[in-house]
Amino acid sequence: MTSMRYYLIVIFSLILALVLQLIPTSAVWLPWKPNFLLLIVVGWVIFQPNQWGIGFAAFIGLLADLVFRSPLGLHVFLFVFIGAVPYLLSGWLIYFSVIHRSVLVFILIIFSEFLRNFMYSVWGAPVDYGDVPLGAISSALIWPLIDRFLLKVHKKHR
Amino acid sequence: MFAKSSSTVRKVVIFFLIAFGMMTIHSYTNWFSSIEKFADQSIRPVYWIANIPPRLGEWAGVRSTDRSVIEKENLRLKQESLIYRGQLQRMAELAAENLRLRLLLNATELLTDSILVTEVIGVSPSPKSHTLSIDRGLQDGVYVGQPILDAEGLMGQIISVYDNHSVALLMTDNTHAIPVQVLRNGMRSIAEGTSDYNNMQLRFLSPTADIREGDELVSSGLGGRFPPGYPVGSVLSIEKISGEKFLEVNVRPAAEIDRSKHLLLVFTSQDGRRNGNVQ
Repeated sequence: MTSMRYYLIVIFSLILALVLQLIPTSAVWLPWKPNFLLLIVVGWVIFQPNQWGIGFAAFIGLLADLVFRSPLGLHVFLFVFIGAVPYLLSGWLIYFSVIHRSVLVFILIIFSEFLRNFMYSVWGAPVDYGDVPLGAISSALIWPLIDRFLLKVHKKHR
Repeated sequence: MFAKSSSTVRKVVIFFLIAFGMMTIHSYTNWFSSIEKFADQSIRPVYWIANIPPRLGEWAGVRSTDRSVIEKENLRLKQESLIYRGQLQRMAELAAENLRLRLLLNATELLTDSILVTEVIGVSPSPKSHTLSIDRGLQDGVYVGQPILDAEGLMGQIISVYDNHSVALLMTDNTHAIPVQVLRNGMRSIAEGTSDYNNMQLRFLSPTADIREGDELVSSGLGGRFPPGYPVGSVLSIEKISGEKFLEVNVRPAAEIDRSKHLLLVFTSQDGRRNGNVQ
Protein backbone atom coordinates (compact mmCIF):
# COMPACT_ATOMS: atom_id res chain seq x y z
CA MET A 1 0.00 0.00 0.00
CA THR A 2 2.81 2.31 0.98
CA SER A 3 4.66 1.62 -2.26
CA MET A 4 1.46 2.31 -4.23
CA ARG A 5 1.17 5.68 -2.46
CA TYR A 6 4.82 6.40 -3.14
CA TYR A 7 4.43 5.80 -6.90
CA LEU A 8 1.30 7.94 -6.92
CA ILE A 9 3.30 10.78 -5.34
CA VAL A 10 6.00 10.44 -8.01
CA ILE A 11 3.42 10.44 -10.84
CA PHE A 12 1.52 13.35 -9.29
CA SER A 13 4.73 15.38 -8.91
CA LEU A 14 5.62 14.79 -12.58
CA ILE A 15 2.12 15.70 -13.82
CA LEU A 16 2.11 18.84 -11.66
CA ALA A 17 5.54 19.85 -13.02
CA LEU A 18 4.31 19.25 -16.58
CA VAL A 19 1.16 21.31 -16.05
CA LEU A 20 3.15 24.16 -14.45
CA GLN A 21 5.53 24.06 -17.41
CA LEU A 22 2.62 24.28 -19.87
CA ILE A 23 0.76 27.19 -18.25
CA PRO A 24 0.69 29.92 -20.93
CA THR A 25 3.14 32.71 -20.14
CA SER A 26 3.62 36.03 -21.90
CA ALA A 27 6.79 36.49 -23.97
CA VAL A 28 8.14 38.95 -21.39
CA TRP A 29 7.99 36.42 -18.53
CA LEU A 30 8.79 33.28 -20.56
CA PRO A 31 12.59 33.43 -19.99
CA TRP A 32 11.90 33.72 -16.22
CA LYS A 33 9.79 30.56 -16.13
CA PRO A 34 11.44 27.92 -13.91
CA ASN A 35 12.24 24.61 -15.54
CA PHE A 36 9.76 22.67 -13.37
CA LEU A 37 10.14 19.34 -15.14
CA LEU A 38 13.92 19.31 -14.94
CA LEU A 39 13.76 20.43 -11.29
CA ILE A 40 11.50 17.54 -10.32
CA VAL A 41 13.68 15.05 -12.23
CA VAL A 42 16.83 16.38 -10.54
CA GLY A 43 14.98 16.25 -7.20
CA TRP A 44 13.98 12.60 -7.52
CA VAL A 45 17.50 11.67 -8.68
CA ILE A 46 19.05 13.45 -5.66
CA PHE A 47 16.72 12.02 -3.04
CA GLN A 48 15.88 8.56 -4.47
CA PRO A 49 18.82 7.65 -6.72
CA ASN A 50 18.24 3.92 -6.27
CA GLN A 51 14.76 4.12 -7.78
CA TRP A 52 15.13 7.07 -10.19
CA GLY A 53 18.37 7.26 -12.13
CA ILE A 54 19.60 7.94 -15.64
CA GLY A 55 16.94 5.80 -17.36
CA PHE A 56 14.23 7.75 -15.55
CA ALA A 57 15.79 11.06 -16.66
CA ALA A 58 15.93 9.78 -20.26
CA PHE A 59 12.28 8.67 -20.16
CA ILE A 60 11.08 12.05 -18.81
CA GLY A 61 13.28 13.76 -21.43
CA LEU A 62 11.49 11.79 -24.15
CA LEU A 63 8.14 12.79 -22.64
CA ALA A 64 9.29 16.44 -22.66
CA ASP A 65 10.27 16.16 -26.33
CA LEU A 66 6.79 14.87 -27.22
CA VAL A 67 4.91 17.40 -25.09
CA PHE A 68 7.01 20.46 -26.02
CA ARG A 69 7.12 19.47 -29.72
CA SER A 70 10.90 19.80 -29.75
CA PRO A 71 13.12 17.62 -31.96
CA LEU A 72 12.95 14.08 -30.54
CA GLY A 73 16.11 13.34 -28.58
CA LEU A 74 16.91 16.92 -27.55
CA HIS A 75 15.43 16.70 -24.05
CA VAL A 76 16.59 13.10 -23.72
CA PHE A 77 20.14 14.40 -24.18
CA LEU A 78 19.63 17.37 -21.82
CA PHE A 79 17.89 15.43 -19.05
CA VAL A 80 20.43 12.58 -19.16
CA PHE A 81 23.34 15.04 -19.09
CA ILE A 82 21.91 17.11 -16.25
CA GLY A 83 20.52 14.07 -14.39
CA ALA A 84 23.91 12.32 -14.45
CA VAL A 85 25.56 14.99 -12.26
CA PRO A 86 23.25 14.67 -9.20
CA TYR A 87 23.16 10.89 -9.77
CA LEU A 88 26.94 10.68 -9.42
CA LEU A 89 26.89 13.01 -6.40
CA SER A 90 23.70 11.60 -4.87
CA GLY A 91 25.47 9.90 -1.95
CA TRP A 92 26.79 13.25 -0.73
CA LEU A 93 24.12 15.72 -1.85
CA ILE A 94 21.62 14.46 0.67
CA TYR A 95 23.88 15.74 3.49
CA PHE A 96 24.30 19.19 1.96
CA SER A 97 22.17 22.12 3.10
CA VAL A 98 19.23 23.27 1.00
CA ILE A 99 21.21 26.40 0.04
CA HIS A 100 24.06 24.29 -1.34
CA ARG A 101 21.58 22.20 -3.29
CA SER A 102 19.96 25.42 -4.62
CA VAL A 103 23.37 26.58 -5.86
CA LEU A 104 23.88 23.23 -7.58
CA VAL A 105 20.41 23.50 -9.17
CA PHE A 106 21.25 27.02 -10.38
CA ILE A 107 24.45 25.77 -12.02
CA LEU A 108 22.69 22.73 -13.54
CA ILE A 109 19.84 24.80 -15.01
CA ILE A 110 22.26 27.40 -16.42
CA PHE A 111 24.21 24.58 -18.03
CA SER A 112 21.04 22.96 -19.36
CA GLU A 113 19.75 26.24 -20.87
CA PHE A 114 23.16 26.94 -22.39
CA LEU A 115 23.22 23.45 -23.94
CA ARG A 116 19.63 23.79 -25.21
CA ASN A 117 20.46 27.13 -26.87
CA PHE A 118 23.62 25.67 -28.33
CA MET A 119 21.69 22.72 -29.78
CA TYR A 120 19.11 25.06 -31.31
CA SER A 121 21.91 27.20 -32.78
CA VAL A 122 23.28 24.02 -34.42
CA TRP A 123 19.86 23.68 -36.12
CA GLY A 124 20.22 27.28 -37.33
CA ALA A 125 17.74 28.88 -34.90
CA PRO A 126 18.61 32.36 -33.63
CA VAL A 127 19.45 32.15 -29.92
CA ASP A 128 19.84 34.69 -27.15
CA TYR A 129 22.28 33.55 -24.47
CA GLY A 130 21.35 36.62 -22.39
CA ASP A 131 18.15 34.87 -21.25
CA VAL A 132 20.03 31.81 -19.95
CA PRO A 133 20.51 32.92 -16.29
CA LEU A 134 16.91 34.15 -15.85
CA GLY A 135 15.27 30.71 -15.78
CA ALA A 136 18.13 29.41 -13.62
CA ILE A 137 17.57 32.17 -11.03
CA SER A 138 13.83 31.48 -10.76
CA SER A 139 14.47 27.72 -10.69
CA ALA A 140 16.97 28.11 -7.84
CA LEU A 141 14.49 30.35 -5.97
CA ILE A 142 11.67 27.80 -6.04
CA TRP A 143 14.00 24.84 -5.41
CA PRO A 144 13.70 25.03 -1.57
CA LEU A 145 9.95 24.23 -1.87
CA ILE A 146 10.63 21.17 -4.05
CA ASP A 147 13.56 20.22 -1.81
CA ARG A 148 11.39 20.31 1.30
CA PHE A 149 8.66 18.22 -0.30
CA LEU A 150 11.06 15.59 -1.66
CA LEU A 151 13.02 15.44 1.59
CA LYS A 152 9.78 14.60 3.41
CA VAL A 153 9.01 11.84 0.91
CA HIS A 154 12.60 10.59 1.19
CA LYS A 155 12.41 10.35 4.99
CA LYS A 156 9.16 8.38 4.76
CA HIS A 157 10.17 6.02 1.98
CA ARG A 158 13.93 5.46 2.28
CA MET B 1 32.03 4.38 -5.82
CA PHE B 2 34.18 3.89 -8.94
CA ALA B 3 32.02 0.97 -10.06
CA LYS B 4 28.97 3.21 -9.84
CA SER B 5 30.68 6.00 -11.82
CA SER B 6 31.87 3.71 -14.59
CA SER B 7 28.45 2.08 -15.00
CA THR B 8 26.80 5.54 -14.91
CA VAL B 9 29.17 6.86 -17.57
CA ARG B 10 28.39 3.80 -19.70
CA LYS B 11 24.65 4.40 -19.33
CA VAL B 12 25.06 8.12 -20.11
CA VAL B 13 27.06 7.35 -23.26
CA ILE B 14 24.41 4.83 -24.42
CA PHE B 15 21.59 7.33 -23.87
CA PHE B 16 23.62 10.07 -25.64
CA LEU B 17 24.00 7.80 -28.66
CA ILE B 18 20.27 7.06 -28.62
CA ALA B 19 19.44 10.79 -28.25
CA PHE B 20 21.75 11.84 -31.11
CA GLY B 21 20.40 9.01 -33.26
CA MET B 22 16.86 10.24 -32.64
CA MET B 23 17.82 13.86 -33.39
CA THR B 24 19.47 12.82 -36.65
CA ILE B 25 16.45 10.73 -37.70
CA HIS B 26 14.14 13.62 -36.71
CA SER B 27 16.18 16.10 -38.78
CA TYR B 28 16.33 14.06 -41.97
CA THR B 29 13.20 11.86 -42.01
CA ASN B 30 9.49 11.84 -41.07
CA TRP B 31 9.69 8.50 -39.28
CA PHE B 32 8.58 9.96 -35.95
CA SER B 33 5.66 11.96 -37.31
CA SER B 34 3.04 9.34 -36.37
CA ILE B 35 4.42 9.15 -32.81
CA GLU B 36 4.38 12.95 -32.55
CA LYS B 37 0.79 13.08 -33.84
CA PHE B 38 -0.29 10.45 -31.35
CA ALA B 39 1.41 12.40 -28.54
CA ASP B 40 -0.25 15.66 -29.66
CA GLN B 41 -3.63 13.93 -29.51
CA SER B 42 -2.96 12.32 -26.12
CA ILE B 43 -1.65 15.36 -24.24
CA ARG B 44 -4.68 17.53 -24.93
CA PRO B 45 -6.07 16.99 -21.39
CA VAL B 46 -2.76 18.22 -19.92
CA TYR B 47 -3.01 21.42 -22.00
CA TRP B 48 -6.63 21.78 -20.89
CA ILE B 49 -5.59 21.53 -17.22
CA ALA B 50 -2.69 23.95 -17.79
CA ASN B 51 -5.18 26.46 -19.18
CA ILE B 52 -7.30 26.46 -16.00
CA PRO B 53 -5.19 29.01 -14.01
CA PRO B 54 -5.30 31.70 -16.78
CA ARG B 55 -9.07 31.11 -17.18
CA LEU B 56 -9.55 31.43 -13.44
CA GLY B 57 -7.48 34.63 -13.53
CA GLU B 58 -9.69 36.03 -16.29
CA TRP B 59 -12.83 35.02 -14.43
CA ALA B 60 -11.57 36.59 -11.18
CA GLY B 61 -10.58 39.74 -13.12
CA VAL B 62 -14.10 40.09 -14.54
CA ARG B 63 -15.74 39.37 -11.16
CA SER B 64 -13.60 41.91 -9.33
CA THR B 65 -14.00 44.67 -11.92
CA ASP B 66 -16.19 47.56 -10.85
CA ARG B 67 -19.59 47.80 -12.59
CA SER B 68 -18.88 51.38 -13.73
CA VAL B 69 -15.65 50.20 -15.44
CA ILE B 70 -17.58 47.48 -17.30
CA GLU B 71 -20.22 50.04 -18.34
CA LYS B 72 -17.49 52.37 -19.65
CA GLU B 73 -15.86 49.47 -21.52
CA ASN B 74 -19.23 48.52 -22.99
CA LEU B 75 -19.82 52.07 -24.17
CA ARG B 76 -16.36 52.24 -25.74
CA LEU B 77 -16.91 48.93 -27.55
CA LYS B 78 -20.29 50.12 -28.86
CA GLN B 79 -18.66 53.28 -30.22
CA GLU B 80 -15.84 51.24 -31.77
CA SER B 81 -18.36 48.87 -33.34
CA LEU B 82 -20.21 51.85 -34.84
CA ILE B 83 -16.97 53.24 -36.31
CA TYR B 84 -16.00 49.84 -37.76
CA ARG B 85 -19.46 49.33 -39.27
CA GLY B 86 -19.13 52.69 -40.94
CA GLN B 87 -15.70 51.73 -42.29
CA LEU B 88 -17.08 48.36 -43.42
CA GLN B 89 -19.74 50.11 -45.49
CA ARG B 90 -16.97 52.08 -47.19
CA MET B 91 -15.02 48.83 -47.70
CA ALA B 92 -18.08 47.15 -49.21
CA GLU B 93 -18.39 50.01 -51.67
CA LEU B 94 -14.69 49.72 -52.58
CA ALA B 95 -14.94 45.92 -52.90
CA ALA B 96 -17.90 46.25 -55.25
CA GLU B 97 -16.03 48.82 -57.32
CA ASN B 98 -12.95 46.57 -57.38
CA LEU B 99 -15.09 43.64 -58.54
CA ARG B 100 -16.60 45.73 -61.34
CA LEU B 101 -13.13 46.83 -62.48
CA ARG B 102 -11.87 43.24 -62.41
CA LEU B 103 -14.83 42.08 -64.45
CA LEU B 104 -14.11 44.86 -66.94
CA LEU B 105 -10.53 43.57 -67.16
CA ASN B 106 -11.75 39.95 -67.48
CA ALA B 107 -9.75 39.18 -64.35
CA THR B 108 -10.58 36.44 -61.87
CA GLU B 109 -13.47 36.98 -59.52
CA LEU B 110 -12.65 38.83 -56.33
CA LEU B 111 -12.10 36.31 -53.58
CA THR B 112 -14.18 36.69 -50.47
CA ASP B 113 -13.01 35.03 -47.28
CA SER B 114 -15.05 33.50 -44.49
CA ILE B 115 -13.91 33.20 -40.92
CA LEU B 116 -14.40 30.94 -37.94
CA VAL B 117 -13.72 32.12 -34.39
CA THR B 118 -11.43 29.88 -32.33
CA GLU B 119 -9.84 29.97 -28.89
CA VAL B 120 -6.24 29.26 -27.89
CA ILE B 121 -6.12 26.22 -25.58
CA GLY B 122 -2.38 25.73 -25.30
CA VAL B 123 0.91 27.46 -26.01
CA SER B 124 4.29 25.80 -26.53
CA PRO B 125 6.36 26.35 -23.37
CA SER B 126 9.61 26.43 -25.31
CA PRO B 127 10.82 29.94 -26.24
CA LYS B 128 12.31 28.46 -29.42
CA SER B 129 9.19 26.73 -30.73
CA HIS B 130 6.37 29.15 -31.53
CA THR B 131 3.30 26.93 -31.79
CA LEU B 132 -0.12 27.01 -30.18
CA SER B 133 -3.13 24.73 -29.94
CA ILE B 134 -6.64 25.89 -30.80
CA ASP B 135 -10.04 24.39 -30.00
CA ARG B 136 -11.13 23.70 -33.60
CA GLY B 137 -10.28 20.61 -35.60
CA LEU B 138 -11.38 18.33 -38.41
CA GLN B 139 -15.00 18.51 -37.29
CA ASP B 140 -14.97 22.26 -37.98
CA GLY B 141 -13.38 21.88 -41.40
CA VAL B 142 -9.91 23.04 -40.32
CA TYR B 143 -7.13 21.89 -42.64
CA VAL B 144 -3.34 21.91 -42.77
CA GLY B 145 -1.97 25.16 -44.17
CA GLN B 146 -5.03 27.19 -43.18
CA PRO B 147 -4.17 30.76 -42.17
CA ILE B 148 -5.08 32.07 -38.71
CA LEU B 149 -5.27 35.69 -37.64
CA ASP B 150 -6.19 37.82 -34.68
CA ALA B 151 -7.93 41.19 -34.62
CA GLU B 152 -4.71 42.96 -35.71
CA GLY B 153 -3.27 40.75 -38.43
CA LEU B 154 -1.97 37.37 -39.59
CA MET B 155 -0.70 35.03 -36.86
CA GLY B 156 0.44 31.92 -38.74
CA GLN B 157 -0.89 28.71 -40.22
CA ILE B 158 -2.23 25.32 -39.16
CA ILE B 159 0.34 22.52 -39.20
CA SER B 160 -1.57 19.60 -37.61
CA VAL B 161 -5.28 18.89 -37.40
CA TYR B 162 -7.01 16.47 -35.02
CA ASP B 163 -10.68 15.71 -34.40
CA ASN B 164 -11.36 18.53 -31.94
CA HIS B 165 -8.21 20.62 -31.91
CA SER B 166 -5.37 21.80 -34.15
CA VAL B 167 -1.81 23.01 -33.83
CA ALA B 168 -0.71 26.25 -35.49
CA LEU B 169 2.80 27.41 -36.35
CA LEU B 170 3.20 31.13 -35.63
CA MET B 171 4.77 33.56 -38.10
CA THR B 172 7.53 34.34 -35.60
CA ASP B 173 8.79 30.74 -35.46
CA ASN B 174 12.21 30.57 -37.05
CA THR B 175 11.03 27.87 -39.48
CA HIS B 176 8.19 30.02 -40.82
CA ALA B 177 8.25 32.34 -43.85
CA ILE B 178 5.48 34.34 -45.49
CA PRO B 179 5.44 36.20 -48.83
CA VAL B 180 4.65 39.86 -48.19
CA GLN B 181 4.43 43.13 -50.06
CA VAL B 182 4.92 46.72 -48.99
CA LEU B 183 1.52 48.40 -48.92
CA ARG B 184 3.00 51.76 -50.06
CA ASN B 185 4.62 50.59 -53.30
CA GLY B 186 3.75 46.89 -53.77
CA MET B 187 7.38 45.74 -53.45
CA ARG B 188 7.53 42.02 -52.69
CA SER B 189 9.67 40.21 -50.14
CA ILE B 190 9.62 37.31 -47.70
CA ALA B 191 9.19 37.80 -43.95
CA GLU B 192 10.85 35.14 -41.81
CA GLY B 193 10.40 34.37 -38.13
CA THR B 194 13.31 34.88 -35.73
CA SER B 195 12.10 33.00 -32.61
CA ASP B 196 11.28 36.41 -31.12
CA TYR B 197 7.57 37.13 -30.62
CA ASN B 198 8.09 40.81 -31.46
CA ASN B 199 10.39 40.55 -34.44
CA MET B 200 10.54 39.14 -37.97
CA GLN B 201 13.05 39.81 -40.73
CA LEU B 202 12.71 40.57 -44.43
CA ARG B 203 15.10 38.54 -46.54
CA PHE B 204 17.14 39.38 -49.62
CA LEU B 205 16.38 43.08 -49.93
CA SER B 206 19.10 44.92 -51.79
CA PRO B 207 20.46 48.22 -50.40
CA THR B 208 18.72 50.07 -53.24
CA ALA B 209 15.26 48.68 -52.34
CA ASP B 210 12.56 51.30 -51.77
CA ILE B 211 11.71 50.52 -48.17
CA ARG B 212 11.36 52.84 -45.18
CA GLU B 213 10.89 52.50 -41.45
CA GLY B 214 7.17 52.40 -40.66
CA ASP B 215 6.17 50.83 -43.99
CA GLU B 216 3.14 48.57 -43.60
CA LEU B 217 3.47 45.00 -44.90
CA VAL B 218 0.57 42.84 -46.04
CA SER B 219 0.43 39.25 -47.29
CA SER B 220 1.05 39.17 -51.03
CA GLY B 221 -0.86 35.95 -51.67
CA LEU B 222 2.05 34.50 -53.66
CA GLY B 223 2.43 30.78 -53.12
CA GLY B 224 -1.31 30.45 -52.60
CA ARG B 225 -1.11 29.59 -48.92
CA PHE B 226 -2.02 32.96 -47.40
CA PRO B 227 -4.80 35.09 -48.86
CA PRO B 228 -3.57 38.48 -50.09
CA GLY B 229 -4.08 41.77 -48.29
CA TYR B 230 -3.96 40.75 -44.62
CA PRO B 231 -1.70 42.87 -42.34
CA VAL B 232 1.57 41.15 -41.45
CA GLY B 233 3.52 43.91 -39.70
CA SER B 234 5.39 47.16 -40.05
CA VAL B 235 9.06 47.89 -40.69
CA LEU B 236 10.77 48.59 -37.38
CA SER B 237 14.36 49.23 -38.46
CA ILE B 238 16.57 49.00 -41.53
CA GLU B 239 20.30 48.38 -41.24
CA LYS B 240 23.00 48.22 -43.85
CA ILE B 241 25.68 45.91 -42.51
CA SER B 242 29.05 46.45 -44.12
CA GLY B 243 30.25 43.43 -46.07
CA GLU B 244 26.70 42.07 -46.42
CA LYS B 245 24.93 42.04 -49.79
CA PHE B 246 21.45 42.54 -48.36
CA LEU B 247 19.76 44.88 -45.90
CA GLU B 248 18.79 43.71 -42.42
CA VAL B 249 15.14 44.72 -42.14
CA ASN B 250 13.36 44.09 -38.84
CA VAL B 251 9.58 43.87 -38.82
CA ARG B 252 7.23 44.14 -35.86
CA PRO B 253 4.30 41.73 -36.36
CA ALA B 254 0.89 43.40 -36.54
CA ALA B 255 -0.78 40.56 -34.60
CA GLU B 256 -0.44 40.30 -30.84
CA ILE B 257 1.32 36.98 -31.26
CA ASP B 258 1.94 36.16 -27.60
CA ARG B 259 -1.22 37.74 -26.16
CA SER B 260 -4.23 37.00 -28.37
CA LYS B 261 -6.59 34.37 -26.96
CA HIS B 262 -9.36 34.47 -29.55
CA LEU B 263 -8.29 33.95 -33.14
CA LEU B 264 -9.92 33.68 -36.55
CA LEU B 265 -9.50 30.82 -38.99
CA VAL B 266 -9.67 32.07 -42.56
CA PHE B 267 -11.56 30.06 -45.17
CA THR B 268 -10.89 31.52 -48.60
CA SER B 269 -13.56 31.01 -51.26
CA GLN B 270 -11.11 28.69 -53.04
CA ASP B 271 -11.12 26.28 -50.12
CA GLY B 272 -14.57 24.85 -50.68
CA ARG B 273 -14.44 23.73 -47.10
CA ARG B 274 -17.14 25.89 -45.58
CA ASN B 275 -19.63 24.29 -43.31
CA GLY B 276 -22.48 25.45 -41.11
CA ASN B 277 -20.22 26.87 -38.42
CA VAL B 278 -18.40 29.26 -40.69
CA GLN B 279 -19.54 32.83 -40.30
